[in-house]
Amino acid sequence: MAQSGTRNSYRWMVAPAVIFAAAMIVYPFCYALWLSFSDVQLGSDPRFIGFGNYTRMLADGEFWNGLRLTFFLYFMALGAQLVLGTWLGLLLARSQSARGLVRTVMVSPFMLPPVVIGMMAIVILDPSFGIANWILAQVGLPPALWLSDPSTVMVTIAALDTWQWTPFVALIVMGGYLSLPHDVFEAAEMDGANGWFRFRYVTLPLLMPTLITATVLRSVDILRFFDVIYITTQGGPGNASTTLNILAYRRGFEFSELGYASAVMVTLSAIVFGSVLVFARLRKAAAW
Amino acid sequence: MVNPKTKRTFDTIQLVIVLVVLALPIVWTFMSAFKPRTEVAAIPPKLFFTPTLENFVELFSRNDFMHNTLNSLIVAVGSTVLGLVLGVPAAFAMAWHRMSWPATATLFARMAPGTLFLLPWLLMFSQVGMVGGYWVLILTHAAITLPIVIWVLLPYFESVPREIVESAQIDGARQDQTLLLVVLPVAMSGVVVASILSFVFSWNYFLFALVLSGIETKTAIVASFNFVGEGVTNWGALMAAAVVIALPPLILTLLIQKRLVGGLAAGAVKG
Repeated sequence: MAQSGTRNSYRWMVAPAVIFAAAMIVYPFCYALWLSFSDVQLGSDPRFIGFGNYTRMLADGEFWNGLRLTFFLYFMALGAQLVLGTWLGLLLARSQSARGLVRTVMVSPFMLPPVVIGMMAIVILDPSFGIANWILAQVGLPPALWLSDPSTVMVTIAALDTWQWTPFVALIVMGGYLSLPHDVFEAAEMDGANGWFRFRYVTLPLLMPTLITATVLRSVDILRFFDVIYITTQGGPGNASTTLNILAYRRGFEFSELGYASAVMVTLSAIVFGSVLVFARLRKAAAW
Repeated sequence: MVNPKTKRTFDTIQLVIVLVVLALPIVWTFMSAFKPRTEVAAIPPKLFFTPTLENFVELFSRNDFMHNTLNSLIVAVGSTVLGLVLGVPAAFAMAWHRMSWPATATLFARMAPGTLFLLPWLLMFSQVGMVGGYWVLILTHAAITLPIVIWVLLPYFESVPREIVESAQIDGARQDQTLLLVVLPVAMSGVVVASILSFVFSWNYFLFALVLSGIETKTAIVASFNFVGEGVTNWGALMAAAVVIALPPLILTLLIQKRLVGGLAAGAVKG
């Protein structure tokens, strides 16, 4: 690229995307930030109130409830998906012959519309007519209320996300494992290391960068999880599944408390970006 | 040491269990959609039944669902095309000039909660009277498709040999000619993956259309959500709607399943 003419000519290629991103992403973000510092109802003019929304938020029990539920869901779903995904990924890497058919089934859950996941859950988990409780009854277990009991609703939602996204984690782990140098595993086997020892001290450390990548991807989505919760429970029963994202949506669009809702959304965004930064750091440290 | 053959059998058993757990809810949904109305919620569940299309007939005749499905198609195709028009030249320039900040800026949209942008969009677009129209949905969904296009295409463009671009330019081709006639044919499979992923993500996206669509522009996803309440009394139509909105993403992702995970993970891995 020595010609000076072509050096500038990339600008027209990037400009439309940059203008679009500025208008649709950067400007709305700044707007939301500004809204979070103002007192505004739909139809009224915003009034700057400094940290008013944030101090109100910190004194709001629903905010703390939402924060607790967000992290409860995060650790439960992420933990389950990493453990099951690693097990399934290594299982897939070992059974190469089945891979074609298996992949077809595996990619289906995470490419389904979240609305379909919600509809499936509503029908399958219905306390009286759903097939889930019928299966429980066949094996002699008592029926569960799944999504309509405050004490089980978040576990059920975490299980739905785990059902949907464990295959994705597994496929990432499989890819990561297959790209590792295989003489290491053979050497470990020759040294007589047993299965668990090999996994704990050879496979797991080598897989760490892959697992952190999966963690980053899943963290972003689980922390801002919205669709399936809203479709199945709309935050209920009561407040039992009102995570921060649901809380922000309801305050903003059902109660038109735009400033307060923006403060909650900005806080949630900060949590998401914070987690991505932490894991990006960890990934650099884990890469050899 | 465990006998390798025993180990393989044990692996197969585990795999079969996983596949059943993953496939069963989907199979059950599809089966329910074809069940006669009286048998959808039967206890004990009916495994054998005479398939019928009555749920689909009811879905399309009663609810204007055809119109909603067309709306979904318009929005998904529109935002995919817009994402490609904006993203393809941008990704090429970024790959060629090794410039990453605009790509990082679009990644922002991938990470931030959609609700964050939704309030400002609602205020912005209602001021210019666009809420309820197609363009507001196409533009907001393009905030999803643009990062997909850019991040999926970057590695494809980076792997195009620099010599063929340089020789095209020595022959006097303008940048747009180079991109269209020389680079794109080489990176075509990347464009296909990006287009399919963009279409599926736009098709599946729920939140933006929930707030920003009007009665006339409601997408199939949002219309299906509205049945959820009444679905308690009409599970058959609910399951038929689930099948209609699930089929396009399922069919399209089958076409690119080998590259799917790489495409979805693109962008989060770098930097």
